[in-house]
Amino acid sequence: MEWRGYTGKIINVNLDKNKINLSKQNYNDIKKFGGGLGINIKLAADLFEPNIDPLSQKNYIIVGAGPLVGTITPGSSRTVGTSKFPATGAFAYSCGSMSFGFNLKLAGYDNIIISGKAEKPIYLLIWDDHIEICDASTIWGKNIIKTHDILSKKYESCGTIAIGQAGENLVYHSLALIDRVSTFGRGGLGAIMGSKNLKAIVAKGTNSISIAHPKEFTKIYNRLFDRIKNYPHKESWHSLGMLRSLPIGMLFKAAGQKQKAKQCSERVYLNQLKRRRIACPSCPMGDKDILNLEQSDSTNLIHYATSIINPFLMFTDLNGLNYNHEAILAHDMCNKYGLDYMMVAALLDYCTKLFKNGILTKENSGIEWNTDITTLVHIIELITYKTDFGEILSEGINKLIEFYKGTSEKLPNVKGLDVIFDPRLLHLGTMEFEQIVNPKGSHVASGGSPTYIGTGSSIEKFKSHFNRMGIPSFAFENIFTPPLPEMVINVGCLTRYAEDWYTILTSLGLCARAQINRFYGLESVTKLYNAITGFNTTSEDLRIAAERTWNLLKLMNMKENFSRKDDIFPKAWFNPLKFGNKYFKLLDFFGKTIITPEIANKLLDDYYDERGWDKITGNPTKAKINELELNSFI
Amino acid sequence: MEKKNIIQLKINEERCTGCLICKLWCSYTHYKMFIPSKANLEIKNKYGLKPQIIFLDTCTNCGQCAQHCLYGALTIKEAVN
Repeated sequence: MEWRGYTGKIINVNLDKNKINLSKQNYNDIKKFGGGLGINIKLAADLFEPNIDPLSQKNYIIVGAGPLVGTITPGSSRTVGTSKFPATGAFAYSCGSMSFGFNLKLAGYDNIIISGKAEKPIYLLIWDDHIEICDASTIWGKNIIKTHDILSKKYESCGTIAIGQAGENLVYHSLALIDRVSTFGRGGLGAIMGSKNLKAIVAKGTNSISIAHPKEFTKIYNRLFDRIKNYPHKESWHSLGMLRSLPIGMLFKAAGQKQKAKQCSERVYLNQLKRRRIACPSCPMGDKDILNLEQSDSTNLIHYATSIINPFLMFTDLNGLNYNHEAILAHDMCNKYGLDYMMVAALLDYCTKLFKNGILTKENSGIEWNTDITTLVHIIELITYKTDFGEILSEGINKLIEFYKGTSEKLPNVKGLDVIFDPRLLHLGTMEFEQIVNPKGSHVASGGSPTYIGTGSSIEKFKSHFNRMGIPSFAFENIFTPPLPEMVINVGCLTRYAEDWYTILTSLGLCARAQINRFYGLESVTKLYNAITGFNTTSEDLRIAAERTWNLLKLMNMKENFSRKDDIFPKAWFNPLKFGNKYFKLLDFFGKTIITPEIANKLLDDYYDERGWDKITGNPTKAKINELELNSFI
Repeated sequence: MEKKNIIQLKINEERCTGCLICKLWCSYTHYKMFIPSKANLEIKNKYGLKPQIIFLDTCTNCGQCAQHCLYGALTIKEAVN
């Protein structure tokens, strides 16, 4: 068949046999699961054996880009990676952006499936019809920035997925970066690539993406373009990027930390740090930052960040950091080595607490633990090269907690991934709740939108927002029936629909950021999808494909022995959090009701109910599996 | 006889983010498909410190790229007969 939007081609790379072949996309699978995330999960379910070692040759890496990627559709540059992740042992996915998926599509491919292990370091080159396994001996051992620079000089205008030394050394929580700036694979994709001797994947596409109905597409695009052009916050977003969405300076100010508030202020960012804003292909709301840091020796550090808030969050997490440049320096090291800065900060915070309690000592760990820059830089090196105590830290949270039994409360995590957004600071919205139920562990990319609109909004505004996301009106009764009436919204029920909406966006290739997805609704993305692909898909088809995808992801993790026992609110959340000179309790989204363990459990019950899953096991019921035609996967 | 507009563009490379919307729209305007490699302008060093916007000889001076640049890197200075 003639594909539009999709290319219809999959690259299969067997590193054991040093062989590459192409296969065709299955039309029925695309209709049932969608592209991007949907087809990634379906392809994986066909291939993966349960209970494999994530760092063995039996693991696969599946990379995909959805049907809208490569077009001008605003914010359509997402790349999805699927694998079994070593930090948690979960079968999961991760998303990145920048130009890799864009180039992959323009080269003529929807997906790449990588299996086995190369005998020696290699990188995979995809340049239109030319696909080659290339020698990487000259770039092995180099950091991600250098690796990207060498490859992009050799293959001008290419997109790269590259790992640093942490991935090469199989650090369980290492990740990759796309185009040296977009994080890709929290939870250990870096180590999985390292275990395959795969230093990088390069995609360079000079072909075309044609669409089925240009007139219809142009009409929809022009309408979208006008809305974006006239968006009243466009200029301030272009100026501030993610700092506009998450003004960290204000958070510090509210906590009485004036000095830190100043260091994370808009003025300091604009006048002292920001060098340039960069954007993913087709993105009208670019969020990537190039920062310029003047160092004490008069040299300048040019730092590429997924966004300015990433180093600022590190600054927030670690009390011992006094200046923003310390956080930027540490963040830069993490990026170069391919470490997850959030995990590194969480590990340092935890070990410092154990040190204060006398569990860790200088004698038994070799380190005088402190959350200052000296210790931070030291442990980044130790973890990357797995030296001394770094060897234990390199295996992540699950290993540490096993080692120091009874201390897990000091390291809030879900399934072995550190908490990203602490609801004691931000209240319990869908993004915070989804960290508990996401099969991967603490992961927030699937739970955001429903509670982005702010606590001051009316019920009618919430309903209008829910309609936009395609939440069926019959679900409203459950969504507006929380465990206690004063909570107004049942975040457990609502999270199920947040996951569906984000699965749709990720399967199409659209960005999850609020600043992009605010311009879309289920109805409009369905029209775009049909105009581009020529299909006659309904909004309900897309919603069911998303539900089917999420259930299949859950079934795969059921085979990995995950169940409700793993969807646990961290105990620490039920105690007040000291931030600055204030204490913050775990409150509902509107900040009025204290969330007790009983309420938390009820919200989990309601989430499973809304999903049609078993409340005891937390897994899909036979009825749900039948309904979604997933019987062949159990 | 109808005279063709001569469009003068103002280029502000400092504001370019490398989003490639100009190249995508250029190729879509002229080929009705997305083929940025055939666009009539090139963005060099798009993710580096100093991006460069280069118009190729094939440019038809239609100004569509500037009309679709949302960052202010390309704007229409004037259109005269």
